[in-house]
Amino acid sequence: MILKSLISQEWTKSLRKQGFYKNLAVNIMLGFMVLYFGTIFLFLGFHLDDMLEKADAKLNPMELFNGAMFYVLLIGLSFRFFMQQLNTINLPPYQVLPIKRSLLVNYLLLKPLFSPINYFMLLVLIPFSVQSVSKYYDGFTAFRFVLSFIFVVWFNSQFAAFLKRKYGTSFLSFIVVLVVLGSIAALEYFKVFSFYKISMIVFNFIVLQPFGLLISLAAAVLPFLLNKWFFSQNYYPEKFNEKLNKSNTSTTDITIFNRFGVIGELITVEIKLILRHKRTRSILMMSGLFLFYGLIFYTNDHYENQNGMLFFVAMFMTGLLMLMFGQWVYSWDSSHFDGLTTQNIPIKTYLKANYYLLIGFNILCFVLTTPYFLFGMKFMYMHIAALIFNSGVNVFLLLFFGTYNTKRIDLSKSTMMNYQGTTFKSFLIVLPIMFVPMIIVGGVSSFASVNVALIILTLLGLTGILFRKQMLNLCVNQFNKRKYALNEGFRQVE
Amino acid sequence: MIKVTDLQKTYNGITVLNIPSLDIPQGESFGLVGNNGAGKTTFFRLILDLIEASKGEVLINDKIVMRNDEWKTITGSFLDENFLIDFLTPQEYFNFIGKLHHKTEGDIALFLESMSDFFNGEILENKKLIRDLSKGNQKKTGIAAALMGDPKILILDEPFTALDPSSQIRLKRFLNDLQSKFNMTMLISSHDLNHVTEVCKRIVVLEKGKIVKDIHTTEDTLKELESYFAV
Repeated sequence: MILKSLISQEWTKSLRKQGFYKNLAVNIMLGFMVLYFGTIFLFLGFHLDDMLEKADAKLNPMELFNGAMFYVLLIGLSFRFFMQQLNTINLPPYQVLPIKRSLLVNYLLLKPLFSPINYFMLLVLIPFSVQSVSKYYDGFTAFRFVLSFIFVVWFNSQFAAFLKRKYGTSFLSFIVVLVVLGSIAALEYFKVFSFYKISMIVFNFIVLQPFGLLISLAAAVLPFLLNKWFFSQNYYPEKFNEKLNKSNTSTTDITIFNRFGVIGELITVEIKLILRHKRTRSILMMSGLFLFYGLIFYTNDHYENQNGMLFFVAMFMTGLLMLMFGQWVYSWDSSHFDGLTTQNIPIKTYLKANYYLLIGFNILCFVLTTPYFLFGMKFMYMHIAALIFNSGVNVFLLLFFGTYNTKRIDLSKSTMMNYQGTTFKSFLIVLPIMFVPMIIVGGVSSFASVNVALIILTLLGLTGILFRKQMLNLCVNQFNKRKYALNEGFRQVE
Repeated sequence: MIKVTDLQKTYNGITVLNIPSLDIPQGESFGLVGNNGAGKTTFFRLILDLIEASKGEVLINDKIVMRNDEWKTITGSFLDENFLIDFLTPQEYFNFIGKLHHKTEGDIALFLESMSDFFNGEILENKKLIRDLSKGNQKKTGIAAALMGDPKILILDEPFTALDPSSQIRLKRFLNDLQSKFNMTMLISSHDLNHVTEVCKRIVVLEKGKIVKDIHTTEDTLKELESYFAV
């Protein structure tokens, strides 16, 4: 009974969230993404058998897959550790009601297992086991194979939640996970120690031996018990929320911009904002990974003549931080926007501060991506053109159209893959910024040459930089027009 | 100092504020009282150009407030936590606000020194972020920040709520001081009739967006207000 009402209250909570209907467009977008990946996974599932048949002569596909299972587990675990939102219900209001605590805890722990996203990989697994495992063994073994994978999912889900509860996600844990993954991969690669072989032995045992599945079920229950233990140790919510809410934020002051007057002060505040919130810090981390984007494209011969695509990559990397933060250039300040607009800060100064911050980001990213010049002069020209175009055109587009993002961003809550505060408009703003230059380069280079395309973009960028005063004034006027809508929207707490 | 002409604010056809005309001369302490939804915060937001008037205008020093930056140099305000930059420590926040008013580090230290009584040792001493402070201490931080730029006009929304009794008394004394020493124009809204009659020389009662009473505070004012609000 109680369980039923808990579930229904959870459901009403998500329906009554303010953003739910407004965010329909975003949800549809995400829906398409799910469909897209679902199709790819299914396709993979039906072809995995063929692929693995060719991969090794001696071992059958299931054995190969079991060998990789350890890595599937490990990667799944680290993904969950960073991406999976910790499942919480707002405990205190329930705590005072006559509901057994163990029921609440069980509910809290087991609910994520019912999320369909957990079983996404089954789109690969089920076709594969039907096609391949049943061919080598029998239908029953195929079933056991799928079941063993489901236990892996359970283990991962519970264990990641436990690690997260116990240690929290911080930059340090990010590094630790990277190092662990890296060293395991290195041990395997240099044939020092093969987890692959062990994994094959263990998972073959699990699938093929009578009691194998029981062992893996026990392994899945273990982290569940660990979680229970954690909750018994930390009886009060304030205790177990401590790790999550802990402001491990350093309060060190940043003084390098002090010389630049009010603009410097505003930039300092903005940098502190980025460094002192989870959401912005995780954007920084993601950006760090995206800087390696070029390694995929620049080294691939397939893209050698696709200049549009290459320029897209160049622009994306050199404008990385500008694009990531510029999309919501004003929204980041939403929690103190009323304060900013009534303080002794002329609107123009405020916009100028944001302008210089974004330009600073551009220069930083440009410098960080200079190693790509080693891949060829072409990339150097592309990066320079992208830098100038970003700093002369895109930056103003962001400042201008950023005024249409009127949703308050909640900085405190989230970690990676957070779409709170994202609306359809956010997509509309970024799409032309990202793709118009790509189309220009692709088009012009197909009937003239890349260099002509790059020169055109550079000239456009230089024009923007030359007329920055006028451009900035345009943005100020636009900001003043949208000011009340911004104030109003940012005041709405979701 | 502040002049309001024909000011109206409508949301979806419902008028939430309608003030045909109102003058607040320099040095006046102006108290705004009214039940929830009477339009107090709306009025303050209109003065501070945080929402757009449906009709009419607000003038500060004979200059229209709307989409203008000039009034910001002489106005200090604290309405709610949206005015605080909550990921800074109070010290950082005060430095930031101080710099906006072109104060030196010495000026800022001097100012904070003068506030030490009001802060009661709870704001600056520990290196907490503003978001980790209690509601009362957040309010103190906001009020102090509003005063940093030596404003000619001070606008405070419900300054007494969430403060402990000693702080309420200190704040009252403090506001009276500012008034008599610097002839500061003050706009204060409050649900507490006692406090507001003690601090303000003029009380305006709002009901459903309209001014229903405009009185100069005398000894009888409190009684008058109490009988007005009694159900």
